[in-house]
Amino acid sequence: MAKNVLLVDDSSTMRKIVTRSLRQAGLDFGDIFEAGDGLEALEVLEKEAVDIVLSDINMPNMNGIEFLREKSGRDGIKDIPVFMISTETGDDIIGEAKSLGAVGALKKPFTPDKVNEVLGPFM
Amino acid sequence: MPPIERYITDATLEVFSTMIFIDISPGEPLKGQDDGIDSNLTSMIGLAGDLQGVLAVHCPEKAALGITGAMLGMEVTAIDDDVRDAIGEIANMVAGGLKVALAENDIAIELAIPTTVLGKAVRTSGQAGVSRFIVPFGSPVGDFGIELKYVLH
Repeated sequence: MAKNVLLVDDSSTMRKIVTRSLRQAGLDFGDIFEAGDGLEALEVLEKEAVDIVLSDINMPNMNGIEFLREKSGRDGIKDIPVFMISTETGDDIIGEAKSLGAVGALKKPFTPDKVNEVLGPFM
Repeated sequence: MPPIERYITDATLEVFSTMIFIDISPGEPLKGQDDGIDSNLTSMIGLAGDLQGVLAVHCPEKAALGITGAMLGMEVTAIDDDVRDAIGEIANMVAGGLKVALAENDIAIELAIPTTVLGKAVRTSGQAGVSRFIVPFGSPVGDFGIELKYVLH
């Protein structure tokens, strides 16, 4: 069954590029929703049937870490898996994200094959 | 530790081969203070920590449009928000690659948010004693360059 994805990134260009990579990854994705920051992402999660979230870390208004923290306290959406997408690869920032519920990370830049490798087990 | 120029070259090649799908070829780094790349659009990102400075991507209009078009998979005919965003994202990813490479040498840096400016003859400047180089790249959509101006503590 196709999985619906939410992309969270303040760069609209990056959202387009990631959408393209997802479509090229050979996985069965359904709808791809977009949000420009953590606040918008929470709104989308409350309204739409999202199966997987891909989120940037550095964003205005509500960053990826704050988004994870807020999401983890909301019963209806707290179990939706989140993958971080970022140039930030330090153990501390990814470790903090995982402690707040992130299940994995994609380091930019990445190939469609890498998307398949990381997201494939969750499809 | 290899020369920092090599980190910039390697990170740029990785970005273009994995997410932009344009074959680019690096040239010899330019190290003179007056060496530059003709540019209509420059995206800069500040670096702080053990290495302080600015990384800048300099693009003539033709290259900026061609690179953005390749990233988005569509024709781009004028410099707009997508182009500014795309070149800023390249600066971000190249700086991210530099951060990872330096971390392997116990040099910790933090990245700021990219800033993109339009205009010809943009030059960055810094205090006396900073090191500077530009790695020029050739591509099917035109030449561009990546500059690093820095102080290593």
